[in-house]
Amino acid sequence: MSIAVQEKETILNFLDGDFSILSDVDVIAALNQKGAGNISEFSFPTKKDEDWRFTDLRSISRNHFVPVAEAGATPVGDINDHYLPEAQESRLVFVNGEFDAERSSLDAIPENVTVGTLVEYGDSEVVKEHLGKYTTFDEDHDVFNALNDANFKNGVFIHVPKETKVEAPIHILNVFTDAEKPFYATPRVLYVGEAYSKSTVVEEHIGLAENEYLNIPVAEFKMKEGSNVHHARIQRDSKKANHVSRPIAHLDKFAEYHSYTICLGAKLFRNDPRVVQNDQEVNFTIDGLVLIDGEQIADTHSAIDHRHWHAQSHQLHKVVVNDKAHSIFNGKIFVREDSQKIDSFQENRNLLLSVDGTVHTKPQLEIFSDDVLCSHGATIGHLNEDEVFYLHSRGLTKKKARELLVYAFTLESIENMEVESVHKLLLDEVVKFTSRDEEFVAVGS
Amino acid sequence: MLEIKNLHASVEGEDEQILKGVNLTINKGEIHAIMGPNGSGKSTLAKVVSGHPEYEITEGEILFEGEDITELDADERAHLGMFLAFQYPIEVPGITNRTLLRESYNTIARENDREELDPLEFDDYLKERLEVIDMKDSFLERSINTGFSGGEKKKNEVFQMAVLNPKLAFMDETDSGLDIDALKIVSDGINKIAGPENAIVLITHYQRLLNYITPDYVHVMMNGKIVKSAGKELALELEDQGYEKLEKEFSLNGEAQ
Repeated sequence: MSIAVQEKETILNFLDGDFSILSDVDVIAALNQKGAGNISEFSFPTKKDEDWRFTDLRSISRNHFVPVAEAGATPVGDINDHYLPEAQESRLVFVNGEFDAERSSLDAIPENVTVGTLVEYGDSEVVKEHLGKYTTFDEDHDVFNALNDANFKNGVFIHVPKETKVEAPIHILNVFTDAEKPFYATPRVLYVGEAYSKSTVVEEHIGLAENEYLNIPVAEFKMKEGSNVHHARIQRDSKKANHVSRPIAHLDKFAEYHSYTICLGAKLFRNDPRVVQNDQEVNFTIDGLVLIDGEQIADTHSAIDHRHWHAQSHQLHKVVVNDKAHSIFNGKIFVREDSQKIDSFQENRNLLLSVDGTVHTKPQLEIFSDDVLCSHGATIGHLNEDEVFYLHSRGLTKKKARELLVYAFTLESIENMEVESVHKLLLDEVVKFTSRDEEFVAVGS
Repeated sequence: MLEIKNLHASVEGEDEQILKGVNLTINKGEIHAIMGPNGSGKSTLAKVVSGHPEYEITEGEILFEGEDITELDADERAHLGMFLAFQYPIEVPGITNRTLLRESYNTIARENDREELDPLEFDDYLKERLEVIDMKDSFLERSINTGFSGGEKKKNEVFQMAVLNPKLAFMDETDSGLDIDALKIVSDGINKIAGPENAIVLITHYQRLLNYITPDYVHVMMNGKIVKSAGKELALELEDQGYEKLEKEFSLNGEAQ
């Protein structure tokens, strides 16, 4: 009898790359080395893995990605339209994962604040102390985090000193250009907020063409005592791109971290935001807004880890699905033993505009403590036809009535955007999404 | 202005007729009241006239200014100058009264080749119209009917009517659930709007509203038909005697019309 041993599939089956090449910066090189080990070790996920049950990964596994240098990427042109007026002098631009100094401008950053690249500040004690220390993804044998570790040679470094506020929003603009071959990029962010510091970070991913690529950003936010950050994450990758992102925030006492993730682009979007409560009295948000159509897949697997007393957490995840798009939400909330007085809110609201759209949603609460307030809810619904008729009877076409209602549904998530131009940009995106040329498939009417 | 001829209607996809041959003629400058017991078809008539997709017209026709509108969508009827004040106004979170009214007003203006108003002009216009129902400016910023009291919702319907200035309005139980103060404001508002160029149809269960608004005609609806029409004195008669007497009379006489 012979036993067929099925060879383990790793992400290396779907991409080229020499991961023995290490960064010149020691702290990055160490992560490169660790990542290189992990990518050949960790299996590429399948639907048999609980965390990937509903996620169709064929847009990665039926493709082959090369390093950017070998992809025949088109040089970037004028991207001024993507600059935020509020961040004209507080912007870092990365093109296909490579830092673009010429398009970056940091004149509005106060002198005592560090905003720059990991290469530039790679030898600083702060980078050495914090880089790669907060991601918990290796514990889950996550191939995507491992690929980022193995491949990244540069990234963003932000260090806001004690009791300092950065007035201008810091715009991290990742743009991706057209290319002859599908490529992969691994943007990286390290944010360290010292005690009672405050800033706003806008992390944006924009596909300039309609090409296939694999974008795997990892962001680590270390929030020290009483520090505060507003983190807007806007994903407008190419509609053929794959975006797998791993943002994590690590919160010390009294820290506040508020993140708002907006998903508009990509064929496949997989986002695993994680927040770890490292001490008492923290307050955080990981809201999301997903607008998908065509055959887009947007999957959010979040994990909130309450490890100490007194925390307030807020997660409102709103989703609009049209055509054959597919949304997946899995929201884990852990409350560890002896972490009392936790007030945790989670809600996933899904609006299905078509008959062919699919939504999977699962709140997952694991509470090992008794003095805790955890509310959670998930709804999936079509547009309310009574609301449509009410507006219709006031002279609005059915199409306009539906547009307004979808717009209203998304508004709650967008209103939290602190940066005015981002707020406006997202409203425009919503209008674009709701007023496509085709009529909405009139579900229920 | 409006001619309803032998109107029969049922819920879309169901056999049972709710309207069983309604005849009604309304001229401009008139106020009509349609009264009747629960389940007589009053609200259905209002919905069918405004083009609610839930109902199907199986026989008869509705003419508005001489044009057959039975095939028109609800928005097209609104463009012609028809309005329905809802019995249960719908809450629409996230869309402000101002947003809806501006969209609505300008759509109707556009369809009628009238000039649209820009946001500033429209604001002035809205503020002027707010006086009709004695509401504050902040009312405009609130999401449509969201978290409104019953009285506020009804006032909002009258306000929308004041802004859109329809030729013909069906007001479906706009008086129900109102306390005495709200009832006065609502009826006062309706009286201000009523004029020689428009017509208003009040659908009501009780005569209470008619103490404040004097109808030219009162119709009694029963079992899907208008069984009796007369002047305003009919309302008082009904208040005294209830519907039972009429019901008996109607069932004894068989066909009343």
